[in-house]
Amino acid sequence: MIINQFLLLGAALFSIGVYGVLSRRNAVLVLLSVELMLAAVNINMVAFDRLNQDVMAGGQVFALFIIAVAAAEVGIGIAIVLLIFRNRRSANVDELDLMKL
Amino acid sequence: MENIAFLPIGPEVILLIGAVIVLMAAVTLDQDRRDWGVVGAIALLVAFLLSWAQWLRLDYLERGQELAFSARGVESIHMPMVVMDRFSAFAGVLIFLIAFLALVGNWGLVKTLGKRGAEYVALVLLAAAGLHMMVISSNLILLFMGLETASIALYVIAGFARVERNSDESALKYFLLGSFASAIFLYGIALVYAGTGSISIYGSGGILAFFSSQPVAVLEVGILLTGIALMIVGLAFKVSAAPFHQWAPDVYQGAASGSVSLMAAGVKVAGIAALARVLMGAFPSRIDDWAPIIALLALLSIIVGTVGAIGQGDVKRMLAYSGVAHAGFMLSAFVAGVGGIPSIWFYLATYAVQLVGAFTVVSLVSGVRSGASPFDQYKGLFERSPWVAMAMATFMLGMGGIPFFAGFVGKVGVFGAAMSAGYTWLVAAGLIASIAGLFFYLRIVVLMFFEAPVMAEAPGTATAAPRLAGGAGFVIALTAGLTILFGIIPWPLLNIVKNAL
Repeated sequence: MIINQFLLLGAALFSIGVYGVLSRRNAVLVLLSVELMLAAVNINMVAFDRLNQDVMAGGQVFALFIIAVAAAEVGIGIAIVLLIFRNRRSANVDELDLMKL
Repeated sequence: MENIAFLPIGPEVILLIGAVIVLMAAVTLDQDRRDWGVVGAIALLVAFLLSWAQWLRLDYLERGQELAFSARGVESIHMPMVVMDRFSAFAGVLIFLIAFLALVGNWGLVKTLGKRGAEYVALVLLAAAGLHMMVISSNLILLFMGLETASIALYVIAGFARVERNSDESALKYFLLGSFASAIFLYGIALVYAGTGSISIYGSGGILAFFSSQPVAVLEVGILLTGIALMIVGLAFKVSAAPFHQWAPDVYQGAASGSVSLMAAGVKVAGIAALARVLMGAFPSRIDDWAPIIALLALLSIIVGTVGAIGQGDVKRMLAYSGVAHAGFMLSAFVAGVGGIPSIWFYLATYAVQLVGAFTVVSLVSGVRSGASPFDQYKGLFERSPWVAMAMATFMLGMGGIPFFAGFVGKVGVFGAAMSAGYTWLVAAGLIASIAGLFFYLRIVVLMFFEAPVMAEAPGTATAAPRLAGGAGFVIALTAGLTILFGIIPWPLLNIVKNAL
């Protein structure tokens, strides 16, 4: 089985996600970029599962777990972003500098 | 049913039941009643006793046969999800003790939260369950689930004093950087899975079995090494080792003082234990590949933590940076492989206890809900409340590694382990940093004992002269007592940790 395409797609998505986390100013977009990274991991997991011919289907099970955890994480994340927005009228991560670095 | 062993997951079951009872009782009972909170403390205490029971049960089962940490379970047919060994039992004892002390010592926070106090108690229970799941997992899925359970609960706890502006900032920083680190950790797991063909550590088809059976690599070895490196990055973030430490000072400073001790001490215990399980449990044969990375991380953490702590003017930020340095000291024992685990355990146990005590003092002096804890509040503390000042001085001297306090024995242990592995440069850097570290620990002591008080609050208020009373007094007295006890007679604990692998 040729899995190069899947791995390239995964690596590209992961890199785009890392770039987004580092460059975006809006907390919601940072959150979206983290989700891209998780999606990249899922693609890799399923691709490696097929490559390894894993009888336990460990990679596929892991992908399902990651999807569930990512949903929970987004729930908490959006709640925190809402809290920030309500307190400060802005969700810009650059303005979160009340504490000395 | 007889195939299911409930003892290994007993603590989690108890904690989840406790969390559900607390939440339901808070909804149905009268809003002013606080006795549901006792359920949380009892659940943590029962989990603590169950971990101890696991230890005794293992003593009973394994009498006379020595099982090596790295070879356990390879012969068994199953691919277990959880593993109950002395390593996980000792980690459980430590985690639940810390969570219990963190909850009891900061009872004032639960009281000021009013009806949201129940949610706080439930989150502490869930975080403790997640942290324990990290250390008992023998499968990378469960390791990740434990990590996320604990992290998600702690993100919420960090932002719990939500009207305070620093608190929401602390929660968002913790959340964004934490989920970023989790994603990197997951990518590492995916690559390890590609390299070894399994996400189970022990068991017949597990990672250990892969290495022990003359591995025919599925892919190039580079993919495995990249995976190990990314997993180290993810866990190094959790234990706040440099260069992945930037979140720690801000999160500690912004979160309510009463909630930081679990965040700091509990996560450090579980993170170091999970790192040990992954590196020494799953990849013991690759020690020549990961030991240099860990040594470099340790060196960076020691330097960055010590230099960073010197310039701080806030006790919580100072403790955060000193935590980075302590993570470095503990990581420096990793290079000795499995032989370094006892010294890591001793250091971790004593440091975590001191840290809980120190943060409890901070929450007494600066107030349980407040974020900042500037040095001014600690000036002349000895005049205002001598016992609190003396306890804080004990923790500071213990962390600084003065002889006759527990931190000294721990430092001797980790440096000895690194020395035996041939990392002399790391030990040299650690010794210099320990001496430099005395500067900022002793500065707090000098402030408390020899400076005139500068009080923003009116004299007579609770913060102006904090008293050792109630839960906080119990926790501070216990932790200070343990710090001195294990500094003078460390042998009982040393004998225990010698077997904890």
